[in-house]
Amino acid sequence: MRAVGAILISLVLTTAVIGNAYYQKKQFYPSVVYITKSNPSMAVIYLQAFILVILMGKLMRKVFFGQLRAAEFEHLMERSWYAVTETCLAFTVFRDDFSPKFIALFTLLLFLKSFHWLAEDRVDYMERSPVISWLFHIRVLSLLLMLGFLDTHFVCHAYQSTVTKGASVQLVFGFEYAILLTIIVNILIKYALHTVDLNSENPWENKAVFLLYTELVMGFFKVLLYLAFVVIMVRIYTLPLFALRPMYYTMRAFKKAFNDVILSRRAIHNMNTLYPDATPEELAAADNVCIICREEMVTASKKLPCNHIFHTSCLRSWFQRQQTCPTCRLNILRTPTAPSHAPPPQPAAAPAAGGAAGPAPAGVAPPGLGMAPIPPGVNPFQPFGGPGPIWHMWQQAAAAAGQRAGDQQQQQQQPRQQQQQSSGSGSGGQSTSASGSGANAPSNQAGGASGGGAQPPQQPGTSTGSNVPVFCPFPFLPFMPPPPMPPANFAGLSLEELQRMEGHARENVEARLQCLRNIQLLLDASVTMMHQYSMVVQSTARMPPPSSPPQASTSANNTSSEPVPKPSVTPAETRHKFEKGDNLEGAAGPSINTTTTPTTTTTETGNSEASPVNDETREQQEIRRRRLQKFAQTSQTTE
Amino acid sequence: MAGSALRRLMAEYKQLTLNPPEGIIAGPINEENFFEWEALITGPEGTCFEGGVFPAKLIFPPDYPLSPPKMQFTCEMFHPNIYADGRVCISILHAPGDDPMGYESSAERWSPVQSVEKILLSVVSMLAEPNDESGANVDAAKMWREDRAEFNRIAERIVRKTLGIPTP
Ligand SMILES: [Zn+2]
Ligand SMILES: [Zn+2]
Repeated sequence: MRAVGAILISLVLTTAVIGNAYYQKKQFYPSVVYITKSNPSMAVIYLQAFILVILMGKLMRKVFFGQLRAAEFEHLMERSWYAVTETCLAFTVFRDDFSPKFIALFTLLLFLKSFHWLAEDRVDYMERSPVISWLFHIRVLSLLLMLGFLDTHFVCHAYQSTVTKGASVQLVFGFEYAILLTIIVNILIKYALHTVDLNSENPWENKAVFLLYTELVMGFFKVLLYLAFVVIMVRIYTLPLFALRPMYYTMRAFKKAFNDVILSRRAIHNMNTLYPDATPEELAAADNVCIICREEMVTASKKLPCNHIFHTSCLRSWFQRQQTCPTCRLNILRTPTAPSHAPPPQPAAAPAAGGAAGPAPAGVAPPGLGMAPIPPGVNPFQPFGGPGPIWHMWQQAAAAAGQRAGDQQQQQQQPRQQQQQSSGSGSGGQSTSASGSGANAPSNQAGGASGGGAQPPQQPGTSTGSNVPVFCPFPFLPFMPPPPMPPANFAGLSLEELQRMEGHARENVEARLQCLRNIQLLLDASVTMMHQYSMVVQSTARMPPPSSPPQASTSANNTSSEPVPKPSVTPAETRHKFEKGDNLEGAAGPSINTTTTPTTTTTETGNSEASPVNDETREQQEIRRRRLQKFAQTSQTTE
Repeated sequence: MAGSALRRLMAEYKQLTLNPPEGIIAGPINEENFFEWEALITGPEGTCFEGGVFPAKLIFPPDYPLSPPKMQFTCEMFHPNIYADGRVCISILHAPGDDPMGYESSAERWSPVQSVEKILLSVVSMLAEPNDESGANVDAAKMWREDRAEFNRIAERIVRKTLGIPTP
């Protein structure tokens, strides 16, 4: 209402002024001269012009934007406030040029600026709304074209004016419009990217990367423009205070874009080198829903060391922010690396390991050693200079080995029965005094190899990294070399080795450390082996052949006699534990209980053999069970 | 194809509509903009906020779910973990590394695993059990510790206010 009143009053005043002038002078030119000579009349005319400009702005806003959203309006107000103060600062530099024309030009600049901001917000809005109409496209495109044309025109005008008449306030306008032009280009690129994305059938994974690079390049141009402007202004006039704040923000944005690009490159690099692609089997075994975007994983997924699987593109954008697993927060930075101050010099320690473990690993160790000393900082996700490439190969091979291990176990069922005692102690518990002289059982090698790949990251604090030379042979010779099997008591050690471990000199301590480390490595290996087994069992349990699960379970059982079965708790088992009394033990499949005795395992196999027909009902029960669990949790938290 | 943030928000909205948790309603203010939601939270039973229906606003960042949304009650609130202007201060709404209060463990922090539903459920349990170590509203935290009767009285007044019942 007040706005309408102001418009009316100004209109009445203007009419009065013009009418009065014409009444007094009766002719056009004398009237104009009369008005321009009279200050009150001029004030009224200026007011009228100002109101006309505002009305014009409102009209254009209606045409190009329709109703402004609340957020857009707030944004606009905030930025206008800064722009007005900066314009006033600019006036102080050019007080000699001060004239109505000058003010009009600045007002026009402000107006165009606000339209640029609104256009920016509008194009960003494209990502937020599911309904983008044709009207939206027409409006945005025509607005961008118009603004681009105006910007170019003013830049050219300012350039010609400066060339012909020398430096003036036109310098500021030229520069401001040049900045606005970069903004328009930036918005146009964003608009094009969004439009392509909106019209594509599938999610466009690389859009984020394109946006990052656009931001970087445009930021770079803007920084260059600002620097040039400040240099020119300082040489001709004085330090342009009014340009400092936007310049600071531009530089900050550029720095951020630069950091983002670097982080994104690192994330991509790490994902390509460190983490294996998830296989279809793994996808089927897992939930198959990417926890980041809540969509099914059909293509391009990566598996982290903690066995959580995500879309490659989702993981990349997350790693740009944080280097942790989104689900379990495992710090992937710290995972497969050794502490930087790992004391024992490897060459000295290797013979000890070789002596204890048999000749094969020692023989293959040198290539690993040669690759290990990657200079720190080469791999940005591993600040301690960990063995990145080795880790990668190791994991890939381990995934394959895990598959084969499952098959091999089927053939080795018979020998295993006799070797149960020895192999169990061999892989699981060198730290105890069990008489594990049968440690070279082939089944164990397979187990060690398959286990070696996946798991050490689960113990971020341990020094698994230093074990890499011992472990890395597996990728090349998955089953041939026996894993290092130090004898369980001192009988297997030669006198020389024993002597090396006695005493208090540095090398003695190192030898002891090495021995302990081997033990730890083997413990880790058995833990991972358990895990691998349960994974294999899980995947095989879903398929018809009923013979493989019990074997895997028994083999897992061999090793679990030692106090290490913690990570072998598979998701299925966890669920199982939570839902005891749900009366669904049999339906949960044979994979769940790795610690049962062989007899119970066979009974469970019997169950699974009897019930393959019920697969579908089992699935439904599973879903129902999860729902119930969720509801129980929900009501718990609500209470 | 819409952006991934939008698709996830739409999926969450669908999920919340099909399977709403008890005592919570949430959805976009305007279905043309999925990045601004409103939520209605009923006060948990057996607490001083019982019976109240508290409106709140959720603003999602463009990179959701990589960054957490912001949540702000749009009614008057008096609670140790809610700022005077209604902003909610709980750990699930903070990314790790951004810790205004310095008391939160990173395990409860924001990560893409979390969701609108989990946020709202956390807010409900926050209403039931304030964390008086957080200093979002120091007066409320102090009163919660030292003068529970007065705190309950204020809470009751707020509950009445949200229901439009005049305070006696
Ligand atoms: Zn995803
Ligand atoms: Zn994880």
